[in-house]
Amino acid sequence: MGRPRIGAQFGRAFRPEGHFDRSAAHKPILVLDGVVKVFRADAPVLRRVDLTIERGEFVFVTGPSGAGKSTLLKLVYRSETVDEGRVLFCGRDIARLTPESVPFLRRNIGVVFQDFKLVPYWSVFENVAVALEVAGMPGRVIRSRVALALERVGLAGRGEDLASVLSGGEQQRVAVARAIVNEPAIILADEPTGNLDPVLALDILGLFEEIHESGTTVLFATHDRALLEQSPQHRLIVIDDGRTIEARKGLRAMGGALAAQRAQRDVDDAVATARLPL
Amino acid sequence: MKVLSRAMRGVREHVRTQLVSVATVALALFCVAAAALAAENVGELSRRWGAPMRMTVYLSDHATAEQIEALRSALSGLSEVRAARYVTPSEARAVVAGDDAVLASAGAELFPATIELTLVPGATDRARLSVLSERVRRLNAVSDVETYQGITAQVQSILASGRLAAGVIALVILLCAMAVVSNTVRLSLHARMREVEVLRLVGAAPSYVRSPFLAEGALLGSGGAVVAVALLGALFVLFRSRMDSFMGGALGMRPVFLSGFMIAGFVLGGAGLGATGSALAVRRWLKV
Ligand SMILES: Nc1ncnc2c1ncn2[C@@H]1O[C@H](COP(=O)(O)OP(=O)(O)O)[C@@H](O)[C@H]1O
Ligand SMILES: [Mg+2]
Repeated sequence: MGRPRIGAQFGRAFRPEGHFDRSAAHKPILVLDGVVKVFRADAPVLRRVDLTIERGEFVFVTGPSGAGKSTLLKLVYRSETVDEGRVLFCGRDIARLTPESVPFLRRNIGVVFQDFKLVPYWSVFENVAVALEVAGMPGRVIRSRVALALERVGLAGRGEDLASVLSGGEQQRVAVARAIVNEPAIILADEPTGNLDPVLALDILGLFEEIHESGTTVLFATHDRALLEQSPQHRLIVIDDGRTIEARKGLRAMGGALAAQRAQRDVDDAVATARLPL
Repeated sequence: MKVLSRAMRGVREHVRTQLVSVATVALALFCVAAAALAAENVGELSRRWGAPMRMTVYLSDHATAEQIEALRSALSGLSEVRAARYVTPSEARAVVAGDDAVLASAGAELFPATIELTLVPGATDRARLSVLSERVRRLNAVSDVETYQGITAQVQSILASGRLAAGVIALVILLCAMAVVSNTVRLSLHARMREVEVLRLVGAAPSYVRSPFLAEGALLGSGGAVVAVALLGALFVLFRSRMDSFMGGALGMRPVFLSGFMIAGFVLGGAGLGATGSALAVRRWLKV
């Protein structure tokens, strides 16, 4: 499986004329700039969050229950909108997206939840394929890409099974396959191990790390200490009292040269993709 | 096609609800189709009876045979008249009396001699008919003219109010059928909340999320229409012979079924009705 063609689809979504925004690939994939989110006036959830996530990072987001982890992720896939500040995805302010553009944003973001969010009466294949069908991809391409995604999550050959007959761990793998099947630039995981026993939780964490290895940015919200300790190499951000605290630098911060190299490859890929007559 | 298969995916999951819904729609549309069938046949009746086709010319008592024959041939020469037939008093007595012995034994002079005119269909609207009757009235040997305008006007107005009542009832029934579809789609929406949530999550356009539900409504509606027309057709064939002898005898016509054009309109209308019903539900219950 190829590395994600970061920004290519998203660039097109923003620009109906289809020109790829060359500069997007050099920008951080995600920037939260002075973000404020308030549900109840007396207790703002996010008071002022400034956060930059580079391409190819694996970032843990943690904090006690109710701290605002889910809210932060929702702001990114535009399930909620900021009250103040900006959320820049590939350099674009998604708070200012028109409702018509939101689906295009979501096609470039994979999301995985604690409760899997599978359609129980659909087959495993259908649950994964849906992410490609909504984009109008031809059936032949869908079949091969779904097969690849299922293979990546260790569910090769399970496509025909109904989602509801799978175990919890398997269901979460299906959800991961759905999130990665269209090779999004970034994957958001909101307590993806919350419903799984500790061994399966580590399993799923391993799966996200494999996906990260292949170049995808991962933003992983969890309050499970065991996971944070299991992978000390990842950057760790704590949400506390409505602000983010940089608790641990990730390996990426030290591997700047590698990151730059990778970004350049992404640009080349994306430009090549954008030029293909579709 | 893709939309239909996505709609069917939902239908497949909730077959019971959908069947109940199709049955309800079918029942409602059956009533409407039956009304349409009745209207079709009443229309046929109206064409036959709604327009005056007959005129009776009463002859004065002292008219001679030559005068009568001259009048008859003069009348049959009129462009509005297709045929003119002389009915003698004894013939008139025979027609009126039938099996009644008392009437049959009455003197023939009690029954007036007439010339019965059969008019050319379409040649006789209300205005031309009164002009014609005035002209005939002034002819020699004519005592009176009956144009049956009173009766035809009555038939017309009964038919018109019947049509109006049937139309109102049909409208109510159609609205009910629409509400049924709307409710079914609403149930379907609730049952498929997870699906909708997933679609939105993976970046489906709002129209992509909505379309299977609209298609589902259209399927329910047209399915109901097909069932209703099939049922009505079966009943029609079953009872045709009885209806035939009754209607043929009393009304002088054969019963007609809905035309192919009307059946197609019915199925399309069912689809439109279902789609409208589901659009109402989608608008109200599906936030995309
Ligand atoms: N739609 C909403 N309306 C009102 N309050 C909300 C809404 N979503 C989240 N909250 C509140 O925001 C706070 C943070 O929630 P959340 O982001 O889910 O926390 P976490 O995921 O860290 O447990 C909680 O107090 C929650 O009650
Ligand atoms: Mg949460």
